[in-house]
Amino acid sequence: MEALFQAMLGGLVLGLIYVAIAVGLTIIFGTLRLVNFAHGAFYAIGAYVGLVIAQHIGVGWAFVAAPIAVALFAVLLDRLVLRSFYDKEPTAQLLVTFGIALVVEETLRLIFGATTQQYRMPEALQGSVTLGPITYPAYRLLFAAGVIVMLALVWLFIERTNYGLIVRAGIRDRIMVQLLGGNIRQASTIVFALGAAIAGLVGAAATPIYSIDPATGFAFLVPSFVVVVVGGLGSFWGAVLGGLLIGELQSLTNLAYAPASNVVIYLCMALVLLLRPQGLLGESEVIRQ
Amino acid sequence: MTTSSETAPVAPARPGLLAADARFAVLCALGIAVFPFLLHPLGGYSTLATQIAIVSIASIGFNLLLGYAGSLSYGHAMFYGGGGYLAAILLLRVSPQHPNLWLCVIGATVGAAILAIVVGAVTVRLYGIYFALLTLAFAQMVYFIVEQAKDWTNGDDGLQALPNALLPMGPWNIDLTTHLPSIDLGPFGNLGELRLWYIFAGICLLLVLMLSRMLTRSQFGEVLGAIRENEQRSTLIGFNASAYRLAAFAISGALTGFSGALRGMFDGSVPVDSLSIDRSGSFVIYTIVGGVQTLFGPVAGTAVIMFLENVLSARTPAWRLIEGLIFVGVIVFLPRGLSTVLKQQRDKSPRGLFVRSLRLSTEEPDPLLKPSGEGHKGGPMSIIETFKLGKLFGRFAAVRDVDFRVDPGELRAVIGPNGAGKTTFFNLLSGTIAPSSGTVNYKGRDVSRTSGTARVHLGIAKAFQTASLYPDQTVRQNCRLAALARVQGSFALQVFRRSMRLDDVDNLAERAMSRLELTGVADTRAGDLSHGDKKRLDIAIALATQPQILLLDEPVAGMSKDEARKTEALIRKLSTEMTVLVIEHDMEMVMGISDSITVLHQGTVLATGTPAEIRDNPRVIEAYLGGHSEAELTHG
Ligand SMILES: Nc1ncnc2c1ncn2[C@@H]1O[C@H](COP(=O)(O)OP(=O)(O)OP(=O)(O)O)[C@@H](O)[C@H]1O
Ligand SMILES: [Mg+2]
Repeated sequence: MEALFQAMLGGLVLGLIYVAIAVGLTIIFGTLRLVNFAHGAFYAIGAYVGLVIAQHIGVGWAFVAAPIAVALFAVLLDRLVLRSFYDKEPTAQLLVTFGIALVVEETLRLIFGATTQQYRMPEALQGSVTLGPITYPAYRLLFAAGVIVMLALVWLFIERTNYGLIVRAGIRDRIMVQLLGGNIRQASTIVFALGAAIAGLVGAAATPIYSIDPATGFAFLVPSFVVVVVGGLGSFWGAVLGGLLIGELQSLTNLAYAPASNVVIYLCMALVLLLRPQGLLGESEVIRQ
Repeated sequence: MTTSSETAPVAPARPGLLAADARFAVLCALGIAVFPFLLHPLGGYSTLATQIAIVSIASIGFNLLLGYAGSLSYGHAMFYGGGGYLAAILLLRVSPQHPNLWLCVIGATVGAAILAIVVGAVTVRLYGIYFALLTLAFAQMVYFIVEQAKDWTNGDDGLQALPNALLPMGPWNIDLTTHLPSIDLGPFGNLGELRLWYIFAGICLLLVLMLSRMLTRSQFGEVLGAIRENEQRSTLIGFNASAYRLAAFAISGALTGFSGALRGMFDGSVPVDSLSIDRSGSFVIYTIVGGVQTLFGPVAGTAVIMFLENVLSARTPAWRLIEGLIFVGVIVFLPRGLSTVLKQQRDKSPRGLFVRSLRLSTEEPDPLLKPSGEGHKGGPMSIIETFKLGKLFGRFAAVRDVDFRVDPGELRAVIGPNGAGKTTFFNLLSGTIAPSSGTVNYKGRDVSRTSGTARVHLGIAKAFQTASLYPDQTVRQNCRLAALARVQGSFALQVFRRSMRLDDVDNLAERAMSRLELTGVADTRAGDLSHGDKKRLDIAIALATQPQILLLDEPVAGMSKDEARKTEALIRKLSTEMTVLVIEHDMEMVMGISDSITVLHQGTVLATGTPAEIRDNPRVIEAYLGGHSEAELTHG
């Protein structure tokens, strides 16, 4: 019973990471119609920036520096390379972002080496909290709460601001976005930077829990894409539902039969694609993209 | 289908065709023969040359799918690793005493093809990211199964130290590990470094290159290219796109499995890594770097990257970064790959476009097309009829309870304000979308569940509101594709016949062009046509499928007055030979050419009658006024 609770909490934390990456993927897709295979790289860059800052300056600054650095990188990437791929077919976008992911991963490997690294949280956050029958590391709970707050802010951004209007319109009606014209360039840059910053921040914050190596970005990206597909490409709540579902599924399978924990998410995705191709909460018109 | 494809004399081979094939084969053979000696001074070793030759086969298979069918698979490792494991298991379980290479490799290839057909059956309906992820998912499942079936596969350790399989050839059992005679070649190494394996792998590669060339130049390859360029159009001229994509996937999977099996046999081991995501990714890299959609690109890319991996990796830790930078650089700056630097032309040259005998046939139109008095339950049989037809988009009813009937030979206009559901209604008739309720009968037969592709072959063709063409092909080629679908049916694995070498196809296409007065621009790229010519070409494409009923969605929209009148006259002429349904906002045309008019409003039929009746119908006038102000709102 205790193990079950542990696994469910673990699934929640893992699921929230997926949600955060998937939300970025989804708003970027919704606004820019860009399928971004390099999104995992944002996570990894954030994690390494966080690691360096945390070790040399302080953990607090890591949480500030990581999202900013990643957002800057993303804007640069967008201007230099990705812009010209917005109108291309999804396959071309997949290929170029896959290539960027490769380059980032290898650059990180050259700089930081291939070994797994981690930084430690300050003493105050290293304790455990007792929740009924189980004790759980305090930082993990804090992390989960932080991600939830961040997601709420993103949601408010989408629902309440003018830029968010463009995100919503982009998901539902491409034409309307084109009518909005000039605004869109600026908005798409902001959305791209925001999606990247979320991934970077989560990368930095999750490193004390999961540690980081150069391949981690890609390792988180693929399940996050599964999450997006399961939840429905372009849907915020789909990403939330899909992320939690996949996180829990993986964590619980790990408890029941560990070797299957990697494959179960693919099985889940295949079933969803066959039975409800637009995803659990997706809108059907997006599927042909 | 028509039997004409069997009776049609296949045009005699162009003189020199065989010679060209032979020249190609000789050139490839020469290249393969010198390759290991060119590799030597660069620091490559003979094993690498053999591995490159073997893995190139998988890349060629991958390119057939990505380049010619347009599907990016991120799971090809399942075929590559799967082929390797199958071959190794056959080797270990079936004939451990007398290991037979043919048995292992051919068995594994067949196994990979079966796997591809099973996986393809569920994946080919998906596109882009969905296709990539679902193939990846299947590859992960295969990885998992292999990892778990430890008794057969040895789990994470893979199958190591496989016995050496011999190659039975007639009375001989050839041991491929035998070295060639030792001859010193100076800077190019020593012939004796090579084993017979290289010759065997080289022959396999040569055959696969020839196969790939044949496939891409065949009628099959042509249709595959058409589907990639415009799938919507292709299904609505009568090609079964899913079947074509599945066939391409199966061929691609089989070649990749073949390659994996050879690699396992050559290395004497099959690691579980051969099933990994990274493996799948490597085929993407090889193919893109070398040049997608080119014949030699995949081979060149495989050679370059495998060389980097094996030679550069010993010298610098940055080799993977270099590899990644090359990959991105190629995508951004050389979308067609490295091999196009050498050869400034892509493999897909405009072949099959040479014009031959333009016997414009003067056949009588199909008697079925004539309005006939053929009795059917008392009245003349309708050609197309709907009962309570409805279509819901979510909760919104775009078409509701439509009862509609057209007699053979009629010219019926369908009018209504913007958003009335006219296009949706046509889509229901043509089978592009399935109805939510009600039925569509064609010549008395319920076709509600018949696919759009099948309906084309029954004689229903459509021209789109926004012309749906093959922009990169000539006008003639556009029409030929449609004619080809009519002549050969919805699917044909025509891999031997050169594309478009059928007189019937030519005749149909030429006739369709001349009917729409497009013969003058026959050799223009469709994408370069004027708006009016595009709209007319769309109709010509529909016409080339030899329809009995032609659906035209706003054929003169956006045309100048003169052009509109010209097109109107063409349509009027067509309507003497077949049933025509036309959606149009141009009232002058509607009133001028139609036998009768149906008015749709908010998804339902508001009125049906002669032009005069409709003009005077007060409800129609009201709906139109309402509709116009609505239209002004949406367009203003
Ligand atoms: N795939 C779809 N999903 C949701 N709604 C759709 C879809 N296709 C059409 N509609 C809606 O159905 C209604 C009818 O559309 P349709 O294209 O059939 O109108 P139409 O009569 O052809 O209009 P127009 O004269 O502008 O071409 C419209 O309100 C449209 O927004
Ligand atoms: Mg319409």
